[in-house]
Amino acid sequence: MQDIVHEAVKFIDLNYANILYLFAVGFVGGLVSGFIGSGGAFVLTPGMMSLGVPGLVAVASNMCHKFPKALVGAIKRAKYGQVDVKLGIIFGIFAEAGVFYGATVQESIKRAYGDAGSNLYVSAAFVLILGTVGTFVLRDAIKSYRSNKADEEEKVSKIARWVQSVNIPGTMVYFKCLKAKVSLLFIIPLGFATGMLAATIAVGGFIGVPSIIYVLGAPSLMGSATELVVAFVMGLGGSFKYALHGLVDFRLTAIILAGSLFGIQLGAIGTTYVKPFMIKFVMGAIMVTVLFSRALMIPIYLAQLGLMNPLNETAVKALKNSSFAIMAFALLMGAFIILKAMWQGRRAERQTAEQEALQRVIS
Amino acid sequence: MAQGYGKSKKKPVGRMIVYGAVSVSLYAEVLTHQGLITTYFTRGALYATLPIATAFLFSFVHGGFTNYFWSVLGIEAKKSAVVRQRPEAERTEIRERPQPQPRLRARF
Repeated sequence: MQDIVHEAVKFIDLNYANILYLFAVGFVGGLVSGFIGSGGAFVLTPGMMSLGVPGLVAVASNMCHKFPKALVGAIKRAKYGQVDVKLGIIFGIFAEAGVFYGATVQESIKRAYGDAGSNLYVSAAFVLILGTVGTFVLRDAIKSYRSNKADEEEKVSKIARWVQSVNIPGTMVYFKCLKAKVSLLFIIPLGFATGMLAATIAVGGFIGVPSIIYVLGAPSLMGSATELVVAFVMGLGGSFKYALHGLVDFRLTAIILAGSLFGIQLGAIGTTYVKPFMIKFVMGAIMVTVLFSRALMIPIYLAQLGLMNPLNETAVKALKNSSFAIMAFALLMGAFIILKAMWQGRRAERQTAEQEALQRVIS
Repeated sequence: MAQGYGKSKKKPVGRMIVYGAVSVSLYAEVLTHQGLITTYFTRGALYATLPIATAFLFSFVHGGFTNYFWSVLGIEAKKSAVVRQRPEAERTEIRERPQPQPRLRARF
């Protein structure tokens, strides 16, 4: 780690364009995080790297912005009664263990197979996890929408019913968002997997939020809000780890935070205007879109490892640019859906208020 | 439970201005002392607490400013924003450990 540190700590010069770019990306990332409980990080880290920030510094600076952003978002959503702090902290502690283990796995792969091998591992994880989980979440959201039951209470999934019915003495803990006791033996692997994914692709919430909703049985709003507490715990621990090695460029952290704290509050407010299935829809849509972005990079890494024919420079550049563009599109698409849903929700609320005022006048 | 969003509130303009002013000052300090910040915040070991503590400070100040900012613009949570209280899921299967039965262990 020390050798990597000496090479990695080259901090970029900031100009107005860089500052505005980081502020804007921070805002959009915060908006999505405030709404679905995670996301944003998968664009922020490559976004910083596109400015010339070394990878480790980008990851460290992003991590140092993640925990204050998650804290502010969690406080906001707690005011709406959406956060289960106990579940978030317990889940987060095991996620932290997963982060440290995941980072060790990453370092081993990098030592054995170099940068290309490490990148291939990360991309494969993206495609596998986002493909399976993202498709499932998106299908569930579309099913809820089409069944015209979007206004009804979300049903607890069969898996979650089974999980809530299992009684393992000495391990049971009551969680208010589940309205049930669940064994810690279910929470430990889910938290650990969330942390491992966070260490691998920077977004643990793509396992964390679906597992809290579908495996533990929390409502979508509470699942996505509680994930912010998990992100706070993970981010705080991870930031300390990187800060101990002097890898945090606080200027980048502060600028991204400037935008993301605007965004996360707006995203949190947005959750109160939408039906629960919309959380799943935005999450699923982003996940499925991002997986295409990462899939485009796989041929590059396979060629670098000699597992397929080398690609010419034009092809490599085209693939990299397309990958980044799709990733940016995923985030912007998520932001657009959230803002549109908010706007429609606020308009409906205003119309309802006007009608009620009119009826009071008439009566 | 959600707090009393049903009541109309006075817009927190004063608080927004105060938090905003402090936030702008903090950012000005960071951007005008980049070299100093970078030197101390990347020393590692005990200096690792500097970026962490400063991030908390920014989250309090700038978080407060952004909160009041949206309130002043009139963008707040839906008035009826309450998490729907869902009834406990029906447990179709209740697994209980059977009560231990006393057994006679007699040696003859």
